[in-house]
Amino acid sequence: MTQTLTRRMLCISTAILSIAGVAPSLTARAYAADTIKLGIVAPMSGPNARYGGFSMHGAELAVKEINDAGGINGQKIELFNADSQGTPVEGVSATRRLIDQDGVDFIIGDVSSSVTLAMQPVAEDAEVLLLNAASSNPKITYQAGVGGFKWTYRNYPTDENRALVVAKYAAEQRGFTKFSVLSVDSDYGRSAITFTKKYLPDFKGEILSEDYYKEGEVDFRSVLAKIRDNGAQAIIMYGLADTTPIVARQMLELGLAGKVVLIGNGEFNTEKTIKSAPKAMEGAVEAAAWLPQYDSPASKAFVEKFTTTYKEAPNNHAYVHWDTVNLLAQAIKEAGTSDKNKVREALSKIKYTSPVGEVTFDDHNQARLPMILLQIEDGKPSIKGAYTAEIQYPAN
Amino acid sequence: MFSTIIEQVINGIVTGSVYAIVAVGMTMIFGVLRAINFAHGEYYMLGTFGAWFAIDYLGLSYEASIVVAVLSTTVVAYVVGQLVMRRMVGAPAESGVLATLGIALILQNTVIFVFGGGYKFFAGGYIEPVSILGFSLAQQRIIILVVCLLVFIGLELMVTYSRLGMAMRAVSQNIQCCGVVGIDVPQVVLRTFVLGAALASLSGVLTAPVNVSVYGGMGELITFKTLPIIIMGGLGNVRGTFYAAMILGIAESLVATYIGLQFRDTVGFATLILMLMWRPHGLFSTQARF
Repeated sequence: MTQTLTRRMLCISTAILSIAGVAPSLTARAYAADTIKLGIVAPMSGPNARYGGFSMHGAELAVKEINDAGGINGQKIELFNADSQGTPVEGVSATRRLIDQDGVDFIIGDVSSSVTLAMQPVAEDAEVLLLNAASSNPKITYQAGVGGFKWTYRNYPTDENRALVVAKYAAEQRGFTKFSVLSVDSDYGRSAITFTKKYLPDFKGEILSEDYYKEGEVDFRSVLAKIRDNGAQAIIMYGLADTTPIVARQMLELGLAGKVVLIGNGEFNTEKTIKSAPKAMEGAVEAAAWLPQYDSPASKAFVEKFTTTYKEAPNNHAYVHWDTVNLLAQAIKEAGTSDKNKVREALSKIKYTSPVGEVTFDDHNQARLPMILLQIEDGKPSIKGAYTAEIQYPAN
Repeated sequence: MFSTIIEQVINGIVTGSVYAIVAVGMTMIFGVLRAINFAHGEYYMLGTFGAWFAIDYLGLSYEASIVVAVLSTTVVAYVVGQLVMRRMVGAPAESGVLATLGIALILQNTVIFVFGGGYKFFAGGYIEPVSILGFSLAQQRIIILVVCLLVFIGLELMVTYSRLGMAMRAVSQNIQCCGVVGIDVPQVVLRTFVLGAALASLSGVLTAPVNVSVYGGMGELITFKTLPIIIMGGLGNVRGTFYAAMILGIAESLVATYIGLQFRDTVGFATLILMLMWRPHGLFSTQARF
């Protein structure tokens, strides 16, 4: 008896819940004209929770600014947050929740590339605009736009962008033609080199030697001796932040300091790294999507506003989410409506002025974004400007 | 070409020196306890952290930090020795594995808990390069080489002539007979262990200036590098350990130069497998001692 009752209760409550689940989405559609519903998928818990926190703060700040200024076309933005926990499975359910229950038409997410890749088909099926702001895996936009997913856009430079921009700067501004590779033995380190190789011939550059190090490696002397003897002008390094000081010290030891420079990415610009071997780090070139020191009035204003609002300085993730909300706002404004189809069309044609430069999208829905190049000069990072580079997609 | 090989051999010898100082302690501990000390790399880490703490927090010089590091590690090793290691005399092999693995986890995580998991920057040491025979080498590496030679000469003398050395050899041969002739076995075990840990910490302090980064998990890799060395050298064999460390150091260096840096760690593990297959008693003895 008790059991039957429980089962009946379960059926009834399930029924009520499902009605309750449908009702808000119905009402959501009905009220769609009043607010623009924007969902943020980000890792709010788990090991990447810090990134999620920054992302959400960035988005909140932008939404507040826009709403305080009267909204877009008279409509205010309503923000929803769903936790991806940094895993594809949770990212997919978070996305479904935003679409089915909260009835959002626009989603910004995720930080992690693997989560974003899993979210793409979900957004595509629901025909909801997925605007990525912080994942760098090139595959995301290789399979977007003319590559497949019509509803995925990305407003973040890829690993490929980074490799291309660094190669271009090294060749054109510094006149390097001979390179040696010393990167970390991971997807990131190896794929950055794969893309470097793709573009290096365009700049008449050649790679003389290629080595990858395991996480935790501390002895680079044999490789550096090889590099000293093969006459490379620069070491292409997509490495781990904590390894850079070791490499720099051993460059000093082998007399490479001042003769060969590091180019790539791996926290070359922090005080700690430079202090470890100032002579070896001098002239090092690094590419970043954004950094708080970037000198433009809009960027400085953002840093100041974020810092006063949240009592801490913004990081890269905070910036890109803030910027992407603003980008979306402009697309909605240009579309003249919050109808997602119109907004998508507007996004493809947009000319958006971000704090780091003008942003447009290519036919793969990938933003043509500048990467900020910095060079270590007199022991301090000096920003050499923002560089844009066009990606060459494989013909298929 | 030839000069590159010479340079890489010298690099290998310096790397080998670091391994040798760590491995010799581990092999001596094995000699008296018949147990692999899986926490050995953690004393290397403790030494590095001790020196880093002395320099960054106490504002001491690098030389003074060496003393602080070795002394503080000795204290920790003494406590661990009293509480754990001396109880392992005559205990089955698996209790030794479990106990030392447990100690490794405790030491590592205590350090991470107290100082945080991030990488620290080691500021001390003599990192200016000097040129010898046309090769450029940090002064610190020459110090490492010299200290390694001194340590091994000292250990040879100690094992051969001193009372502790003779007791150590006796314990490594027959524990029951030691009891009969009145050798305090747990005491010998404790002293050997503290000596071994102190040497590991010395190696850590000496290497820190050239390795720059200091972090809680740094000991693990060292433990795994020393395993093939002590097996190659013959477990419990001090002189064999020295040669084995040099061989591994040089082999690693040549592999990193001519095959690829990513294969460096393979050398140690491949050696370990080959040794266990063909000469499990080591390169330098014709039959197994244990």
